[in-house]
Amino acid sequence: METILRRQEMAEIKLLPVRHHSPACAWQVRRTIRDWQPHAVLIEGPDSACGLIPAMLDEATKAPFAMYYSYDDTAGAVSEEKEKYRCYYPFLDYSPELAALRAGDALGAKVAFIDLPYGDILAASHAGRGMRREGEKSSYNDDYLLSRSAYVQRLCEKTGLRSFDEFWEKYFELEGLEQETETWFDNLLTYCRQARESTPREQLEEEGCLAREAYMAAKILETARQLSGTEGKHRKAAGEKAGTCRQPAGTEEGLRRILVVTGGFHTPALARRLETGDLTDMPEKLVSARDQGVYLMPYSMEAADALNGYASGMPFPGFYQEIWGHVAEEGERPYTDTVLNMIVHTGKAIRRAEGSTSTYDEICACSMAEGLAALRGKSQPGAYELRDAVLSCFVKGEYNLATDEPMRLLRRQMTGRQVGELCRDAGEPPLLQDFRMGCKRYGLQTASTLENEVTLSVFSKQKHRQISMFFHRLLFLQTSFARRVKGPNLQTGRDRNLMREIWKYKWSAQVMAALIDASVYGGTLEEAATGLVMESLKKAVYAREGALLLSQVLEMGLERQAEQVYGHLSQLLVSDTDFYSLADALRSMTMIRQLQRLYDFQWDIQEPLQICVRRLLGLLPGMARVKEEDMARCMEAVKLLYQVIGRMEREDSPVVNKGDRDKGPAEETPPDNVLLDGYFEALLTMDRDSGIQPGVHGCIHGLLYGGGRESVEQTRQVCRGYLTGTGEQLMKTALFFRGLFFGAKDLVFAGDDFLRMLDEFLCRIGEEDFMRLLPELHMAFTYFTPSETDRIARTAAGFHGESGRRLQERQAVPEAWYLYGRELERYALEEMEER
Amino acid sequence: MDEHKLLRPPVEVRYREELKALKATDTGKKPENWQLSPRAVRTFILGSKTPVSYEGGSVTIGKKYFGNDALVERCIITLAGNRGLMLVGEPGTAKTMLSELLSAAVSGVSTNTIQGTAGTTEDMIKYSWNYALLLAKGPSREALVPSPLYVGMEQGILTRFEEITRTPAEVQDSLISVLSDKVLNVPELGDGGILFARPGFNVIGTANTRDKGVNEMSSALKRRFNFETVMPVREVALEKQIIINEVQNLAAESHMDMPVDEDVAELLASTYHELREGVSALGHRIDSPSAVMSTAEAVSVYYQTMIGGYYYGDGTMDVDDLVQNLVGALSKENKEDLTRVKDYFNTVIRDKANKEGGLWKRYYDARKWLK
Repeated sequence: METILRRQEMAEIKLLPVRHHSPACAWQVRRTIRDWQPHAVLIEGPDSACGLIPAMLDEATKAPFAMYYSYDDTAGAVSEEKEKYRCYYPFLDYSPELAALRAGDALGAKVAFIDLPYGDILAASHAGRGMRREGEKSSYNDDYLLSRSAYVQRLCEKTGLRSFDEFWEKYFELEGLEQETETWFDNLLTYCRQARESTPREQLEEEGCLAREAYMAAKILETARQLSGTEGKHRKAAGEKAGTCRQPAGTEEGLRRILVVTGGFHTPALARRLETGDLTDMPEKLVSARDQGVYLMPYSMEAADALNGYASGMPFPGFYQEIWGHVAEEGERPYTDTVLNMIVHTGKAIRRAEGSTSTYDEICACSMAEGLAALRGKSQPGAYELRDAVLSCFVKGEYNLATDEPMRLLRRQMTGRQVGELCRDAGEPPLLQDFRMGCKRYGLQTASTLENEVTLSVFSKQKHRQISMFFHRLLFLQTSFARRVKGPNLQTGRDRNLMREIWKYKWSAQVMAALIDASVYGGTLEEAATGLVMESLKKAVYAREGALLLSQVLEMGLERQAEQVYGHLSQLLVSDTDFYSLADALRSMTMIRQLQRLYDFQWDIQEPLQICVRRLLGLLPGMARVKEEDMARCMEAVKLLYQVIGRMEREDSPVVNKGDRDKGPAEETPPDNVLLDGYFEALLTMDRDSGIQPGVHGCIHGLLYGGGRESVEQTRQVCRGYLTGTGEQLMKTALFFRGLFFGAKDLVFAGDDFLRMLDEFLCRIGEEDFMRLLPELHMAFTYFTPSETDRIARTAAGFHGESGRRLQERQAVPEAWYLYGRELERYALEEMEER
Repeated sequence: MDEHKLLRPPVEVRYREELKALKATDTGKKPENWQLSPRAVRTFILGSKTPVSYEGGSVTIGKKYFGNDALVERCIITLAGNRGLMLVGEPGTAKTMLSELLSAAVSGVSTNTIQGTAGTTEDMIKYSWNYALLLAKGPSREALVPSPLYVGMEQGILTRFEEITRTPAEVQDSLISVLSDKVLNVPELGDGGILFARPGFNVIGTANTRDKGVNEMSSALKRRFNFETVMPVREVALEKQIIINEVQNLAAESHMDMPVDEDVAELLASTYHELREGVSALGHRIDSPSAVMSTAEAVSVYYQTMIGGYYYGDGTMDVDDLVQNLVGALSKENKEDLTRVKDYFNTVIRDKANKEGGLWKRYYDARKWLK
């Protein structure tokens, strides 16, 4: 076998190339281990996970499971951003690595992982390359190395196969079950060499391959030395083809056999390194082990399916799992049996769903799969023949979204539904431990999966506030453990009057998965929530998002993080140019300022508030011509700004300065009346815009009047302008009134001039126009309380010589009308029956 | 048949040499009455990389159907089985061509065809009578006029049923028992009136799914067929290749000695592709016209322009002519289509003209014909 290399450290090393998920690989690896009986089995995988091998091999541990690696780049070894990283390394029963571990362990051989730890792989990779690729759930699996080269594309074209996966299935999976181990590994190695040779060296370096290979070679040599007890001695290798050669200095009894299982892409390079003892490209310094985490977690077939968007290797894990089952039982035609089984099960599933597939369809599908296999030169039908058969024989009519049910059901079968389990000693990430301790501390049930309810008096009891914080943190980490049924909501600003929170919580396996997922952010819930807050802040573009996060920080009780959040928030406030986003931020921050005492916080939110106000003032003059659908938002923002500036003015500036004394000179804070002047100046600029939106126009005049910057007469003048305007302008009067009442409803009660104007307006327009404007008018009067509306109605009735009481009286419908109506209906029915 | 005297020679005539070579060298197992083995049928349709040598010469088997190779394989296996093959899809996706190729390769004849229309009746599908003979001799095999279906069963060859969904549903249903029992009963002939199908018989139907005026198939009939949905070509490069191949064939048939301008083919392929997909290569969002934007349409626009250039012009492709033909092809269904194409020229083609210049610039300048 070409894959055998000899070392002079009294060891014979066999390098087996594999693809990460492949039943044929797993089967051949297992066979090799049983036949060759190695003393050590070394496997590609970060060596930081060696401690978890006993748990992986425990009988209670059931595949699929995944190794979960996390790395917190506190030292900045990967990049200056000092980010957090994580990745998965899924194992299925038919993963050759797991098969090797199991078979090696059964022999009593030493089993170990030999790759660079995760953090070091990241440090050795360039940004955006290798395991630092972005945009997908990152996986340790690097099978893409085998399938991406131009060589593979040409190979697929030449063999007339659709994809690398189909190519692989035809030439390696199907043939792998029939070929001799040596021939099969030789073929695979030939393929891997070609793939390797068509990959440029720079690319290998950027993806961290070279560093990993150097490290793996060193580990193999180290194991060889340990096993043969010749550590320190380094003799030249004499590797060449046909590797059953003897060591010059060793005897056969003394020769230690080491089997190395790695991705096929690395095998040729490892062989070369072991032959020459070349360990260049080795990372000079390893990153701190303290920042690296590694845990086992249960995995699911769905997550392992490459077609679900997770780059984990092979598609159709359920299909290949079944193949593996047949292979393990030494079945004669595992593929044919599996295809038949899947066709029958899919047929059954379709019958359950729609009820239209017959046994004859299944017979046709089986013969189609067999026929296609023969036509395509495959010894047995594989996954692609199965799919083709179902598509051809089960889908009736044009293949589209309405008819693809059979394909979807088949896909589900081929994905599989198994979920892995872990043994008790598998170890838990610290975050999960912290969660369990929290549940214990607060007496929360996690023994059952039933939903529980708790009511928390968050503002009066310290413990309840703590539980609320615990829940809020879990909610923020998207663990689906707890949900708030009732209580003040700082994000939407609703129910702020409520003093209690009602929560429902439920323990489930998903909570565990989500917590493991979140453990990259930290070892405790507080740390993890903080980590996620910081990451979300980095992603945030709008000030609105930053302020919302701040409100969540308040709910989660992450008091210590406030300063950092402020820093980011201030940057967002400065860079955001969206008026509404800034207005939303202002609203959130004002609310936080009002409520923080209740939540037992002492934040000084003055600075971001001031920045926000100044930014809004800068943008305000440009908001005159808003679209009608944005009118309400704009009016609210304008009014809110007035309220906030007004409050700033009222708050004594020396008090503010007292708090700021330590931070800097008080002169930096402008006197508040400057803000107010600036505000009214902006309103006047808007007013001068001839194309101003009438609602906003009304609103700013209301505010100018309210702020004492305009007399009633001036306001009346503007209002009259609309009333005496030409057709379209006249119709805008309703909007103007709505804005005006929103800004200053007391105008209505300052004499009856405005009501008279409104009355005049209503008299001028026809009924049709009135109906069109009714919604606007309705909105305009919603700002008044019922007693105020009564008062307005009375005044309006007075204009027409009616009393208020008269308006409320309803005219009785004369009996004759009812009778006439009944007669009419009877007549219509008769007419209809006759026809 | 002398192919030079035919407007459009059938597949088995056009590719006589290839079929002969494949038959001579075919070593694969053949279903009974098939002219070629399934593997050779596949080679005939999808081409072979190396020329096939026979009788001292060698013949290159060209790729005749572009698109989905797996679909062709499924079609072949279906025909070898017990069920009919139904090719469905949008107009202009080469369903008919594929069915002709399959028939010619499997049975050596692609003309045993029923052409479905709204006026197709049951006797056109099964059999009818020569009334003069019927009156003279009474019901006999001699007086019977066999339909293509009858011929297919009798001789063990494939019967093609074109545009099956254009025939009324009840007429379509006369196929049901034939397809399941493989027996056709002619009661007029008495005891000898039962026609058992010979091996090799099967039916290839083609059906439009998106066109106006099509009838739904009954589920009983659907069960007798394996369906294959032929999708429009989704790659510009492939579409360009199809245009080039088809136009070359058409030009050769019409004895027009004019080379195919690859740049124009690409221009046309990209126009049709982008208008159909609703997004341009540069990322513009495009309103798709409601007219059928098939590759077959693109071929006919190209060919028309080619004829114009050959007979009236200087033997090259005239871009103004091309745009005028494009207008003709698009103005079938809806006036708004033209506005959409105009917008397409004013955004996408404008940007491409600025970026690429040359032909694209001339194409953009020819937008004046879009009216």
